Amino acid sequence: MAATTESVKADAAEAPLLNKRNLILGVLLYVVFYAWVRWYEGVYGWSAGLDSFAPEFETYWMNFLYIEFVLEVTTAGILWGYLWKTRDRKVMSITPREELRRHTTHWVWLTCYATAIYYGASYFTEQDGTWHQTIVRDTDFTPSHIIEFYLSYPIYIITGFASFLYAKTRLPHYQQGLSLQYMVSVIGPFMILPNVGLNEWGHTFWFMEELFVAPLHYGFVFFGWAALGILGVVNTEVQALSKLLKKDLA
Amino acid sequence: MSASQSAVRSRAEAVKVSRMFDWFILWAIFFVVLGGYHIHYMLTGGDWDFWSDWKDRRLWVTVAPIVAMTFPAAVQACLWWRYRLPFGAVVCVLGLLLGEWINRYLNFWGWTYFPVNFVFPSIFMPSAIVLDVVLMMTGSMTATAVLGGMAWGLLFYPSNWAVIGPLHVPVEYNGMMMTLADLQGYHYVRTGTPEYIRMVEKGTLRTFGKDVAPVSAFFSAFVSILIYFLWHFFGRWFSSTDFVKSA
Repeated sequence: MAATTESVKADAAEAPLLNKRNLILGVLLYVVFYAWVRWYEGVYGWSAGLDSFAPEFETYWMNFLYIEFVLEVTTAGILWGYLWKTRDRKVMSITPREELRRHTTHWVWLTCYATAIYYGASYFTEQDGTWHQTIVRDTDFTPSHIIEFYLSYPIYIITGFASFLYAKTRLPHYQQGLSLQYMVSVIGPFMILPNVGLNEWGHTFWFMEELFVAPLHYGFVFFGWAALGILGVVNTEVQALSKLLKKDLA
Repeated sequence: MSASQSAVRSRAEAVKVSRMFDWFILWAIFFVVLGGYHIHYMLTGGDWDFWSDWKDRRLWVTVAPIVAMTFPAAVQACLWWRYRLPFGAVVCVLGLLLGEWINRYLNFWGWTYFPVNFVFPSIFMPSAIVLDVVLMMTGSMTATAVLGGMAWGLLFYPSNWAVIGPLHVPVEYNGMMMTLADLQGYHYVRTGTPEYIRMVEKGTLRTFGKDVAPVSAFFSAFVSILIYFLWHFFGRWFSSTDFVKSA
């Protein structure tokens, strides 16, 4: 009887399978931050973002760019470094319960990645279309590019690699090698950022008009397809979770 | 880990955990596919989708279904062939629509002040429902490609007709004949405006008259069938669970 009571107490005291606070805060972080970014664009896009030679452009947009570069490199270094430094060196000897708990944490990361991908690939990319069909660009670093290419893309890259690193360093199922589709779903969207080089080079020829379906943009399309790698990640996870839950669900 | 240990305390907890992962999976697939599908679609068919004056009887009808067929075919290849879930195309199109509507309202209207009745997105929902239903009823990739792909292309123009029809009525403006959609375009000049005026004035659009839209839809349906086959196999590859082993 005493042993049973102790066991129940231990269960009650252990960490929950899903840390709901992290899940909600993680998603809210993107939503609230990007709501602020959108407010900033609305106010300073029109008032200070039309002429890249104007002093106010330097104040409100180029300084924004410099600050985000520093913060992104710092965040990536700290986050990826932390995940690697605190990796589990005995990952194959964890209990099934702990493995399940880590899978839920991994899904919190994937949820954040999905949210970040939405903002980068959908929200800020199509927004760029309407801005450049309205305002004739006179620089690579336009207000919409400073947000789209150099803020929202690095943010999903940082989140995606963090998610990948978490799985690789803490989950037994990912110790059999490097998950091909996981790499595709993270590295493919990452390649959209280097492809900005092609885009900006091309726009030095055709800066005056924006045509979103121009072949110049097809590099973004090709690497956008890699997002479908999430299907392989889901299937890999379902395999791992089936091993953990199958006999209890039978 | 010990095989005798269980990850859950009871069957009830196992069911609860399983449902929790269902929601996680749905969120991840929905938003990642939304992002990938939207960036693909906006950069291959986007201008035809952004502006009502690009929504003509020929190239919009041709291009939009062809480029939009890709992700639904790939996602069906995962959700149906692995889990027998018959909503791959609808998930894609719902995601695309959500991404587009948020953008058209908050950015096209909210940031650059184009009226929403100039920048509304195209409608794919009837095509997506038929594509999923054909797959569910036949269970055949070939039948879905041929019948569903054909329906996908043919249904596009009728699906959008109720919205675009009123903007295709003819008007005379400064002595020129044009559609109401063209008139919207003249009043909302964009940096890419001259490009499309040059494009639509080519060819025999005027000579073919009322037959242009059905001919374009039929051609679009034909290519959609081919795209479905191709992207079904892309979807299968993306659904694989291979690991790259270190040498």
